[in-house]
Amino acid sequence: MKNRDITLHINGEQYSLNVAVNRTLLDVLRDELGMTETKYGCGTGECGACTVLVEGKAINSCLTLAATMDGKRITTAAGLSDFGRLDHIQQAFVDEAAIQCGYCTPGMVMKTASLLAKNPDPSEAEIRHALEGNICRCTGYEKIVKAVKKAAQTMPGRATAVERCKEVVQ
Amino acid sequence: MSEETIVGTNAPRVDVRDKATGQAQYAADIQLPGMLYGKVVRCWEHAHARVKRLDLSAAAASPGVVRVIGPKDVTAKRYNSSVLDLMVSESMHDMLGDIDDQPIFTEHVKFQGDAICGIIARSEEAAERAAAKIVVEYEPLPVYLTAEASRAPGAVQFTPEKPGNLAFQLPEAMFPNHALGGGDVEGAMRDADIVVEDAFYVPKQKQCQMEPHAYVAKVDSGGRLTCWTSSQMPKLVQRKLAKLFDLPMNLMKIVPTVIGGGFGTRLGMISEPQACAMALAVPGHPVKLQTLREEDWVISPSRHPGKYWMRIGFKRDGSPVACDARFENYKGGYYLDASGTAFTAGAWLGGMYRFPALRYRGESYFTNQGLTGAYRGYGNPQTNFVLEQLIDRGCAELGADPVEWRKKWHKGVGDDGWCPGVTYPSCALDECLDRGAAAIGWTEKRRKYAKQEGTIRRGVGVAVMNHTSGAMPMLLEHTACTVKLNEDATAEVLFACSDMGQGSHTALKQIAAETLGFPFEHVQLSSGTSDVAGFDIGAHASRTIYVGGAAVKKACEEAKRQLFERASLQLGVPADELDIRDKRIFVKADPARGIQAEAITRAGVYHFVDPMTGEPGGVPGQIQGYVSFFAPHNSPPFGASFAEVEVDTETGEVRVIELVNAHDIGRAINPAAVEGQLEGGIQQGLGFVLSEEMDYDAKGRVQNNSFTDYKMFGPEDMPKITTILVEDADPVGPFGAKSVGESGLVSPIGAVANAIFHAIGIQFTEAPITPEKVLKGILEKGVRNYAAIRRS
Repeated sequence: MKNRDITLHINGEQYSLNVAVNRTLLDVLRDELGMTETKYGCGTGECGACTVLVEGKAINSCLTLAATMDGKRITTAAGLSDFGRLDHIQQAFVDEAAIQCGYCTPGMVMKTASLLAKNPDPSEAEIRHALEGNICRCTGYEKIVKAVKKAAQTMPGRATAVERCKEVVQ
Repeated sequence: MSEETIVGTNAPRVDVRDKATGQAQYAADIQLPGMLYGKVVRCWEHAHARVKRLDLSAAAASPGVVRVIGPKDVTAKRYNSSVLDLMVSESMHDMLGDIDDQPIFTEHVKFQGDAICGIIARSEEAAERAAAKIVVEYEPLPVYLTAEASRAPGAVQFTPEKPGNLAFQLPEAMFPNHALGGGDVEGAMRDADIVVEDAFYVPKQKQCQMEPHAYVAKVDSGGRLTCWTSSQMPKLVQRKLAKLFDLPMNLMKIVPTVIGGGFGTRLGMISEPQACAMALAVPGHPVKLQTLREEDWVISPSRHPGKYWMRIGFKRDGSPVACDARFENYKGGYYLDASGTAFTAGAWLGGMYRFPALRYRGESYFTNQGLTGAYRGYGNPQTNFVLEQLIDRGCAELGADPVEWRKKWHKGVGDDGWCPGVTYPSCALDECLDRGAAAIGWTEKRRKYAKQEGTIRRGVGVAVMNHTSGAMPMLLEHTACTVKLNEDATAEVLFACSDMGQGSHTALKQIAAETLGFPFEHVQLSSGTSDVAGFDIGAHASRTIYVGGAAVKKACEEAKRQLFERASLQLGVPADELDIRDKRIFVKADPARGIQAEAITRAGVYHFVDPMTGEPGGVPGQIQGYVSFFAPHNSPPFGASFAEVEVDTETGEVRVIELVNAHDIGRAINPAAVEGQLEGGIQQGLGFVLSEEMDYDAKGRVQNNSFTDYKMFGPEDMPKITTILVEDADPVGPFGAKSVGESGLVSPIGAVANAIFHAIGIQFTEAPITPEKVLKGILEKGVRNYAAIRRS
């Protein structure tokens, strides 16, 4: 199997790696870098547990070959928070009791970050649509949807973001 | 108005910050020095076969492989991966006929995914590559997917102890004529004015917990085997593994990990025996065994499917006279849980309505489907689908309102619950029905939808359920709990029962803090490892708060008693005249007189002699409360669900518009967590009734072991949800609490089925009620207005 030298910018840190070309980003994060905050749920892009942000966009890291990520900026759930200090999305999930077993949570949080970056004021229907690729088996999605709404309301710089999006739409 | 300040609040979950940032450590996240990787080689091509030849040599020579082990390299002992058999006495065990029939690696494949051998390698990839080099030849055997097929004369016998492949039926010694119930069913049916009867099929639903099963196991230099596992029942798994590997329990250590959802699938063991067998083959090296999702689907037990026949007789005045039922479930290839669900499906049937005569027969037949075992609801969803539809059919024939009929005939306080002799201490089902009916607009919508035109039809339906709070009296109900007071008057509670994600540890911590009179933040709760924590059955039967909470409360009361005893010496006031708030002990009649708890706990630990007086300060000794608690009773919860559905009569699609779950939970220790249980239960209940089932081809191979092919309700499919917590404090449960873990899933099933009946006048006897079945039903029977099928 061929290897390739790549550089990843993960949660603000730079990592120079030599990865086999068949390794997924999920494998590299978990097995080579020990970043186990990103979870393996299915390995086939069906459950969203492995969702991370690449250049601010949510992707399934289990479907992404690490070798194709050279030079990319990657954010995981641990990257949203300083140790022990949650960001507004994670805090909203805590406040709304949207976390039960927690296995889908890192992926849900990343998907929410991606949604709110594109749409800072999503309707309930838009939230539910955005979460379709992220499976939760504990909550019935009820409190997760509430958490995403709350995250939108508590997003830093919300007013500016909402205005900017309106302009884009117009 | 209750006086509690912590119980009844939405205290933040204890594990939630770690889960929000991904720092919570599930079994797959564990990395240990020198770790090796295991891979179980499974039979994927056959569901029933004998292994004719197994050659491990090419795999053993594959790069990166450390060891390859087959059936001859591991103990020949067999096991039963469920732990139910440990929760009954030996005589009960014999009466039930529980057997150990699972080998670690098999030479007789009984279901697709049965384990053939194991590979231990330096990386997962090396193990995968070696797995492809295992040479195995099979002799295919006939595949039996139903009870009818496996009990046919001449069928291959799954195990010699169970002739006719009848894994279990209710034992004659406990249930005459192998039937649960009593009264003259045949006579009552003859006297009935109306008899409703049908044969149903209930589906094989999968738990689909988000965390695939993973394990780490290691043998240390002292010969102690340690297994990191997310089992729901760590203490019983410890005993099972010790027995399987002939180890004294002190040399079999279990480290419980964070659990990524259970819903019953982790009730007992799944691949712990294989993980431990691999570790024993490479002493000193930790071995990690990560199950792939598609593998998890096939090897972990699912809900029991099968045929469920029932008939119910009524008098013209609406009174039920008898219920007669038979559930023939299709086990997988092994015995595990064969006795449990076959019994409980009937137990909950008996616990629901005041039938003067009842006969329930439950049987489990081996088949070559995947394993069946515990799944949230444990027989109750199957019964709900059948019973609640037949009750509504009866109501239609009687011209009775389904809500009013249920209010009149459900069992309540003082009636026998699901086990005769254990009466219901509390029941607020009427209030559930009233508040649920009001929330959905029952009266108006029942009338409005009874007569409709057009291709889109709406309906509203109701269903009720009773469940359980622990498994007393059928199974052992025992929890040990220790609470230790630190010198700064903070508390550490040790309690072996796992939190599967329900939030039980948070609620238990609330109970501990409330009982001690300490702030929530000054109590720590840990499930410990098996060598540290005391005995506990585990998280099953919705018991953690009702039984475990009572144990935590008692242990904390004991610690508080010791604290007050010492305070009483200091204050010169009898202990029973003291109270505590926010760690300050005070005289009830004179709150200004008091002492900080810390002054007592510190003096107990740092018991110095005063250098000036030569006198010791305070009473010596660290305060610890301990209880070995056996549940004295069982206070089942009740629930009523209301569904509004829309049926497209051209496509057969059923859309659930609204689901109201009104539950009598006694008391919500943490209301947000209780709501979470009921909301999550709805998602799984809707799946049972409308979309979820494992499909097999004729050769017994699973066709839909992926999230794309197995349809669960997603965020856009979910209806509007209304959760109603009916709090009518139970006289037995801790702070009045009953259970909530499983029950939310159950009655949405009957409610949706009955709403479909109301919408199009057709009942469906096979779950899940997919669009294909709806269209077929419409083609065969035609859409009818509900008003037209009522006789009165």
